[in-house]
Amino acid sequence: MRSGRRFTAVIQLGIRRVLGRLTITASTRVLLSAAGVALAVMLMTTVSGVALGLATQGTVQSDDVDYWIVPDDNGKSTAALAVGGAQLGDVHSTAAQLQTDERIEFATPVQLRVVNLQNKATGTEEYVLAIGVIPQHESNSIAGLPLRGMTPGDPYYANGSYNGQWTGEAILSDAAAELLGVSRNDELTIRSGGTTRELQALNVSQADLSSGAGPIPVVVLHLSELQAVAGGTDADLADQILVSTDDARLKPHLEQLVPGTTVVSRSGVSSPDLSTSDLSLAVGLTAFVTAIVVGVLFVGTMMGLEVMADRNELAVLAAIGYSSRSRAVLVLTETVTVSLVGGIVGVGLGGLGMVLFNQFATQYFGVESVAAFSPFLLLYGVLVALLIGLIAAPYPILVSQRTSVSEVLG
Amino acid sequence: MKTNTPSRVAEKRSDSTASPQPLVSCQNVTRQYTRGKKSVLRQRKATQTVTALDDVSLAIDRGEFVGIAGPSGSGKSTLLHLVAGLDTPTRGLLSIDGTDVTTLSAKQRTRLRLETIGIIFQHFYLLSALSARANVAIPLVERGWSKRKRRERATTLLTTVGLDDRITHKPSELSGGEQQRVAIARALATEPDLLIADEPTGELDTATGGSILDLFEELSTDHAVIMASHDERALARTDRVIRLQDGKLIADA
Repeated sequence: MRSGRRFTAVIQLGIRRVLGRLTITASTRVLLSAAGVALAVMLMTTVSGVALGLATQGTVQSDDVDYWIVPDDNGKSTAALAVGGAQLGDVHSTAAQLQTDERIEFATPVQLRVVNLQNKATGTEEYVLAIGVIPQHESNSIAGLPLRGMTPGDPYYANGSYNGQWTGEAILSDAAAELLGVSRNDELTIRSGGTTRELQALNVSQADLSSGAGPIPVVVLHLSELQAVAGGTDADLADQILVSTDDARLKPHLEQLVPGTTVVSRSGVSSPDLSTSDLSLAVGLTAFVTAIVVGVLFVGTMMGLEVMADRNELAVLAAIGYSSRSRAVLVLTETVTVSLVGGIVGVGLGGLGMVLFNQFATQYFGVESVAAFSPFLLLYGVLVALLIGLIAAPYPILVSQRTSVSEVLG
Repeated sequence: MKTNTPSRVAEKRSDSTASPQPLVSCQNVTRQYTRGKKSVLRQRKATQTVTALDDVSLAIDRGEFVGIAGPSGSGKSTLLHLVAGLDTPTRGLLSIDGTDVTTLSAKQRTRLRLETIGIIFQHFYLLSALSARANVAIPLVERGWSKRKRRERATTLLTTVGLDDRITHKPSELSGGEQQRVAIARALATEPDLLIADEPTGELDTATGGSILDLFEELSTDHAVIMASHDERALARTDRVIRLQDGKLIADA
């Protein structure tokens, strides 16, 4: 009890000493230590935000979607997968089955294909990202594009015969419409793999999808119609199934319902996980390692010097009966506190850095939101600062333990 | 100036006769230091042994106010550091409160200082970032006292040394005399039997130094107080003066 209380009090003493030196005596070394960590964490937070932005930009997101059902990497083991590809098979029936669950508001397979789209009136053609879905309600949206006006369901699918009514309904993103010079009700031609079909622009809206090079041109159409053009009618293929629900307990049920798949939620780390590129991971990892190395070297050196300058007070503590362990805890606390103060400042500056980075990218490169902010970045920055403090602490502790009381106070 | 009449000293010593042994006992204590280090590359020793304290024997009882005098380099600080448990003798026996210090580990000596000894320095050495009360309470942190008890004890001690209106002041906001009073209060925090003061009035003006010596006189009724000083006027206030020269004890009266 006394030992625990003693160490708690020593930790409090360390924090008070650091805050006192930061505010009252304004120790240059302590301020520099905190500034060093702040700089390292700021850069790491900003770069991690960019990495997060890169990781999430390739993912189809919808405000209505709470879960993505995606194939496992070793998807050959699942019955739900089509043979030879990491795609989900028989998706119309799976989606229909999901739709019968009262807890699910909206479920649709999603197929993503790059297709050639042509403005019939002008002959302008461009490659765009086609998203095949099964709309259910007027309020549904995919990738930020409202599906308002699309015929509910998937008429052309016709229970797998693919000979139902061809609606040709297409919703274009601003970027796609601008590229093609298309406006509402204009006629389009879609081509992929030698197949050509007719579409009509039902609506033009702003989409959420963008890449590092700017907004992605997107066209949304019925799933079966995209399958008919781009392939996938044989096994009723789609890349993923989006499920919108309010029930947080639904995830295990979905995993059970579609075995051999991974169910990821919209929150958390699902977005980076869905990225097909390792670039963001590499960027994030490099930023992490750089921040740790720079932070540890900075804090270790400056706190070592601070302990040297502070050896009178440490010697007094030893003289009045502070044990080596208590003094080590004190120096550890001070080092970690300095690092945490720097980390908190650095996270704040990192958030500001992301805003400035995005503004810079928009102004000079015409790219929107390169860096993505997540509350997890705040926690991440503070945890990295804590780690920096813990790794850097042994050196100042060693310096403090070498202090000779007789020599210092002699 | 207080006169050290034999009757007064005898009276104070008789008060402490309840203890069968002196609080501090040095028997033929010698402390030598080795200067210089063996050269790693040349494998040649370039060392010199210096005797800082040479065959010193003395005893100090509870209730005594003892002065240690001598010129610079006479061994005053060495003797104080040995008695304070900051150092160990090269030869001889040194016991504090019946404990043979020479056999203690560094950790045990640290514990001894915390429980038995209060140290007061010439340069005060208060922690600059903390208030007067927090400075006084520092030893109690290591003793594991609760925050409430620490605050109460520190407030009481600061009141005792006449600083009840300076409790929340930082060291930089206090005069030299006030800082030394805070240092004395800190030394008293753990209720030590032995108070050791190294030139406690060295940085104070005469009037302030006098008030500090008054405080030591009061404290010496309950504690053994050892004070090293160059100042003969300060030494005259003590019960007994131990004089050192070249590491040897030349007078104890």
